[in-house]
Amino acid sequence: RGSCFLSQRKGKYRNMIGTKTKTSKMNHQNSVGLVSGICLIVGRMIGSGIFISPKSVLLYSGGVGPCLLIWASCGVIATLGALCYAELGTMITKSGGDYSYIMEAFGPVVAYLFSWTTVIVLKPSALAILTLSLAEYAIAPFYPGCTPPVVVTKCLAAAAIMVIVSVNCYSVKLASYVQNIFTAAKLLIIIIITVAGIVLLAQGNTENFLSAFEGPAPPVGEIGLAFYYGFWAYDGWNQLNFITEELKNPFRNLPLAIIIGIPLVAVCYVMVNVAYFTVMTTSEVLLSPAVAVTFGDKVLYPVSWIVPLFVVFSTFGSANGSCFTAGRISYVSGREGHMVKILSYISRKYFTPSPAIIFNGILGIFYLMPADINSLINYFSFAQWMFYGLTSLGLIVMRFTRKDLHRPVKVPIVLPALVVLVSIYLVLAPIIDKPEVEYLYCAIFILSGLLLYYPFVHRKVKWGRTIMRPITIYLQLLMEVVPPEKSE
Amino acid sequence: SSSGTHNEKRQARMELVTYIKNPDFQEWDGTKTRTQTIGPDGNDPEEGKPGPESTAVQLDQGSVIDDYTQIKPYAGMPKEVLLLHSSKARYRVPREILFWLTVACTLALVAVTATVIALSPRCLSWWQLSPVYQVYPRSFKDSDGDGVGDLKGIQEQLDHFEFLNIKSVWIGPVFRSPMKDFGYDVEDFQDIDPVFGSMQDFEKLLAEMHNLKMIMDFIPNHTSDKHRWFNLSRTRDPHYQDYYIWADCTEAAPRPNNWVSVFGNSSWTYDPVRGQCYLHQFLKEQPDLNLRNPRVRQEMIDILRFWLDKGVDGFRMGGVKYILEAAHLRDEPQVDQKKPPESISSEWDLHHDYTTSQLGLHDLLRDWRAEMDVFSREPGRYRLMVTESYDHQEVEKTMMYYGSSQVKEGDFPFNFHLLDLPQNTSGLWVQHLVHLWMQNMPQGKWPNWVVGNHDNPRISSGAGGLYVPVINMLLLTLPGTATTYYGEEIGMRTLHLTDTGSLDPAGRYNTSASRDPQRSPMQWSSSTNAGFNNKTDLSWLPVHPDYTSVNVEVQKEDEGSVLSQYSFLSALRQSELPLQRGWFCYIQADANVFSYLRELDGLDRAFLVVLNFGRESAVTDLSSVSEIPNQLTVLFSTNHLHHGRVLQKSAIHTDPGEGLVVRFSAPKRFNPTHPSQCYVSEKACYLRVVDILYRC
Repeated sequence: RGSCFLSQRKGKYRNMIGTKTKTSKMNHQNSVGLVSGICLIVGRMIGSGIFISPKSVLLYSGGVGPCLLIWASCGVIATLGALCYAELGTMITKSGGDYSYIMEAFGPVVAYLFSWTTVIVLKPSALAILTLSLAEYAIAPFYPGCTPPVVVTKCLAAAAIMVIVSVNCYSVKLASYVQNIFTAAKLLIIIIITVAGIVLLAQGNTENFLSAFEGPAPPVGEIGLAFYYGFWAYDGWNQLNFITEELKNPFRNLPLAIIIGIPLVAVCYVMVNVAYFTVMTTSEVLLSPAVAVTFGDKVLYPVSWIVPLFVVFSTFGSANGSCFTAGRISYVSGREGHMVKILSYISRKYFTPSPAIIFNGILGIFYLMPADINSLINYFSFAQWMFYGLTSLGLIVMRFTRKDLHRPVKVPIVLPALVVLVSIYLVLAPIIDKPEVEYLYCAIFILSGLLLYYPFVHRKVKWGRTIMRPITIYLQLLMEVVPPEKSE
Repeated sequence: SSSGTHNEKRQARMELVTYIKNPDFQEWDGTKTRTQTIGPDGNDPEEGKPGPESTAVQLDQGSVIDDYTQIKPYAGMPKEVLLLHSSKARYRVPREILFWLTVACTLALVAVTATVIALSPRCLSWWQLSPVYQVYPRSFKDSDGDGVGDLKGIQEQLDHFEFLNIKSVWIGPVFRSPMKDFGYDVEDFQDIDPVFGSMQDFEKLLAEMHNLKMIMDFIPNHTSDKHRWFNLSRTRDPHYQDYYIWADCTEAAPRPNNWVSVFGNSSWTYDPVRGQCYLHQFLKEQPDLNLRNPRVRQEMIDILRFWLDKGVDGFRMGGVKYILEAAHLRDEPQVDQKKPPESISSEWDLHHDYTTSQLGLHDLLRDWRAEMDVFSREPGRYRLMVTESYDHQEVEKTMMYYGSSQVKEGDFPFNFHLLDLPQNTSGLWVQHLVHLWMQNMPQGKWPNWVVGNHDNPRISSGAGGLYVPVINMLLLTLPGTATTYYGEEIGMRTLHLTDTGSLDPAGRYNTSASRDPQRSPMQWSSSTNAGFNNKTDLSWLPVHPDYTSVNVEVQKEDEGSVLSQYSFLSALRQSELPLQRGWFCYIQADANVFSYLRELDGLDRAFLVVLNFGRESAVTDLSSVSEIPNQLTVLFSTNHLHHGRVLQKSAIHTDPGEGLVVRFSAPKRFNPTHPSQCYVSEKACYLRVVDILYRC
């Protein structure tokens, strides 16, 4: 399992950097096989969510049976969504994922807003949140029964960001090793929980499943909310699109990896939930602050400490992976001139996109500072779904505007339509559930990107360049970074 | 070697050309024009250079390396140009400084984290952060209209706890029971009585209470005589025959010794099925379990596990001092030796040397605590153990339940001394009662305060309604956990039953001992039945007639009501570190006023509490306390017209039954100079710079 990531990552970054060796240009095309692709999907999608909060799904679905059904259906819908991305990925073989598709379908302004929101808010805040939950899990054992002081969590989160940034700046290879080790840890704990659950089932702990579908059906609105929380655990379905170019035989392997990988994740999720229910009643799951930890305490004692430890590993891995992709998005938008050019530069010595990684890390640390960042960032989560929906809408649009494009994988048009509908729902559900003025602020922030777009990207005002030029020169010399060689 | 250098030069030049040719670099400004000016041969770097600075570059192949040195850095420069400059000290030194700074920063952050963790005091657990609210389930809220409160009813009223800022709720016995002692006679410890609902209702309530902690009753002393175990025991089933305490006797003389029941008369009853007498320290329908039997002890552990597994957060261990009796069954000494032995019928007639607090009791409690500790391992799920034992003047017996520094026992035994508040109305008396606990409590333990429960008359009737607000203020500003019996937050009064007899078995022998008056239905609103039951006009006990003015709905609207005061003080306690875990220092006590300070080392903000328990208005002079500033502003008074009043510390005026909370800011703390007047459970100091507590 370990090697499948490494080879893929190396290839990916060679492609991205391009300057490393002449040979890399020749071999990057075929570096990711089917197994690696599946590994990538599984490794990226499984974050810390399944260990911490499967209870939101349970709370709104109202019972063990509906809860498991929702986990499975979320997996099906995520697979369909990913298949739409498979069509896009094989049709437009440019790097940059959503960014390139939105650019192709809706033009540069929308694509700019995508990169603006992603680079400035979504990616760094994801890093901040992941490291915060990492810190919370690492510190919790020292503060049994109460909330640790804020300063401790934030200090540790900041330290984690600095370590992750350093590792990613130092070496692509090291970063991939880190990623591989932590993904393996993540899968290991999933396997431990699943196996423990199967053993318990075999021993006859089935009482919580006997009346799985009894009880009143929950209201439609609540089922919707259950789906909303379920989908969060499946976020990251489109990861494979970032490496379309590096896939071996992408026309076969991309859809195949999706069809195998995402249902595999869904099976993992359902099995983990089944394991939880073998030892916990619904009320216990709802009462538990961290379900996997409760499971560990009940089943794995005296080695129950491995669960929080592995959750920390898993979050670290996710944070590392998030840092990894953040570099790529900055790089693409920097190349298109939608972000300052320096973000697309590559370290001369280490062949890493260090400016983008450091920029992401600095913003991440900045986002750690305010008192209650979690809530504010949650408001931005609707933006993520908005862009997923937009990308799928782009697929439909291009069916009409870009009939000429070669589509090696072609999905029925109902699939993107379904994803668009789901996305619209997921954007609106939390807003309708709890309408708050903060959503408006977020929308205003996203649109305010246009204030920068008009003068600097569209009009390309001269004084903008006059200011940036000396800064770029200085940073280039300071950080020893150079523009990448264009690989196309 | 010269040809070698030549080759290198050539190669370098080639790369330079390649890089300069690369259209990507020129895109920096978005100006494509320059790339268009490059000749097709690409040999003219002069035209490829983006800036006028690079005009110095010559075409001469031999001197191309020298020429590079003259290329000034430009935005988007390639590797070769960059390398010419980046090693200069003005770039290299800051780069290295920044690198080491990053390393130092990371290490410093980790070090700070480790230090703060190492210095942090033990954090307060949930049961230390909020008062415990006691729900008497029969009387709290009736959802189905049968006149008896139930679990669904409690679930309907969960908002009430949120309003009161209460996090821990103790729900009285809801186990299956014939209700001879209203639930304290249990027929099945692992089932819910139908009158309260079903097990599903219980689990639903528990799930709904995810923001709250649920404490349940645990009744280890006895079961109902309808319990399966008792029926098997009286038929001498080999497994169960020693589950209860049996002694030889005859039907004609059913008293193996002189022991008497808490509810009056002999504690022995003849059982015709088995032909022996069984012991019952309470009702004859409540046979005492034989906890010296390992099987019974295992049953008790199983019951604990059953509920802990469901997610119950704690137990109140009822009547613990009674759980063991002397095995020799000797007569207990009489209080009045002259009294004829056959007239002994009340628990006050005997010294309970052989029926209470027997050797081995604390071992049992420690076993149970250990069992609860197993379930407390998960962070945030500490399981609370509270013991109930009325030891009257023998406070040292009560303190035993705290356990020792080596072995943990209960988290706290209920402190019933404040039940004596109505005996005297003076500040000195209150201080005496408070001090009784504070001075006897083992070092480092957590105090608690009870002014009423289902077994004792409501404090409002004894002390009079006038003192209810000041008593609530006392409970919510003292150190430790307060217990609030339902209705105390609105000042509910004891019900006067005149017509019918007592429903409570304790009242059957002695009407004045009936506990019905303190169990009248909770007063929610001014509508029929005080909103206790919205479906019918049934209620198992009559509603107190004052419900039209004393109820939750009315008091929520009234800023000066007992309820509003309770919710304010409870919220204040939760938000203020000195009230939560700070020092408690006696300031003054006289015929009327009891006054104390709450403060935390390192924190400028402190609280002065002045409570008038007397019959007259009082003017308190605190000018001798130099740590208190001269001018004080009343943060909160039980008389809401006095909020914000400015007082001189030499003349603090309080009306009878008035309590004041004064928040002040002062540079010096009181406790370092008056250690004998001050108590703290666990010392912690505040560090303002980073907003943390540390051990000191």
